[in-house]
Amino acid sequence: MLFLKYVYLAIVALLLALILTNMFKKDKFLYQLDAALVIIPLILRLLLIK
Amino acid sequence: MKKIPKRIWTAAALCLFAAAVCVYLGVTFSSMWKDQPIYPGPGVTEIQMLSDYNPGLKGTHGDTEVYVLDSGKPGAAVLVLGGTHPNEPSGVVAAVALIENCQPKTGVLYVIPRANHSAFTCTDPQEGAPMFFTIATPGGDRTFRFGSRATNPIDQWPDSDVYVHRTSGQTLSGSETRNLNRAYPGSNSGTFTERVTYGITELVKQKDVKITVDLHEASPEYTTVNAIVAHQDAIELASWASMDMQMEGMNISIEASPTNLHGLSHRELGDFTDTLATLMETANPSQGRLRGRTNADLVVKGVDKYYVRARKAGSVTVEFTEAGIPIDERVARHICGIEQLCKAYNELGNEQTIELDGLPSYQEILTNGIGYYLSPGK
Repeated sequence: MLFLKYVYLAIVALLLALILTNMFKKDKFLYQLDAALVIIPLILRLLLIK
Repeated sequence: MKKIPKRIWTAAALCLFAAAVCVYLGVTFSSMWKDQPIYPGPGVTEIQMLSDYNPGLKGTHGDTEVYVLDSGKPGAAVLVLGGTHPNEPSGVVAAVALIENCQPKTGVLYVIPRANHSAFTCTDPQEGAPMFFTIATPGGDRTFRFGSRATNPIDQWPDSDVYVHRTSGQTLSGSETRNLNRAYPGSNSGTFTERVTYGITELVKQKDVKITVDLHEASPEYTTVNAIVAHQDAIELASWASMDMQMEGMNISIEASPTNLHGLSHRELGDFTDTLATLMETANPSQGRLRGRTNADLVVKGVDKYYVRARKAGSVTVEFTEAGIPIDERVARHICGIEQLCKAYNELGNEQTIELDGLPSYQEILTNGIGYYLSPGK
């Protein structure tokens, strides 16, 4: 199970990186705002805070 | 010089915004890891850690205090577990009241008030449960954490689809993987939750604990409430205790620990150690499925009009009136139960005895409230 936890965290990190990349590529502000809201729980998860 | 596109500026500003929100939330969530203070009473002679019994817990959120109340005179050892399920608050408050009031005259009392320490740091999803509740003491309000039934997912994740109990092979829902009271006798190489129960099992073995009392609560509609659940070796002890409790005015029943339901303290500690394993249940409306508004008032006062209606309709077997089932009554049951189990152990002619002094009676707690017997804090 500990192994799966690190797989899960790796998936979270990958998703976070992809969303951040996309955030800097999008022209529309609303898309960027969407991305900013989505990364908050991902950061908290990655840091094992929540 | 090449002009930086506007989208880069807005993305950078939003990153800063997200970072600020994360810092704020991080500080807020991290404050949940701070334990509410417990003020050791005159009976406490030592504060150990569970990692003294399972070193693998050291430095983890699973490590928790073990309060030792040693009379200094030979006698039996008793272990009381509060906070196995931190959403069952009367067990925690009863354990704290023991630490702050009890003075054993013979034997040793071990109290673990936050058995699943990790589960105090979160609440169950979709329950709308309060994070804190307060009890009035003569010197001001005393705050307690209301936690989750299971270990915080931060400490153990992901859950398997099916939980396979380690020693019996019994299968349960995957959501039980993080339930402390499905993880006995535990393993020092197992999951986070199993490592905690391994520490408790080791304590029972190493200290030759004669009686274990695990304090719980359940929904009022659950059939096993106002009951002592006992391993087959502890049935005689529980029967004696229940008779004395009934004489003090409590309705209390005895339930035999099912032999085919594994992982529970009353089953596995009874099977794997020499202790007389018992578990006590009171009726807690803040856990029930029929409850109305869920808040700290419901936890403490236990008043719920929907349970009154359910009782009138015959859907709830436990007595539930407009006065509710306040935490004072639920804690009084636990404290009286522990005292009576110890008395019964002595009366059954065991060579070693355990005599507890300094505890308020059932009626005294009902009259004065449990807050009267808690330290007002500093």
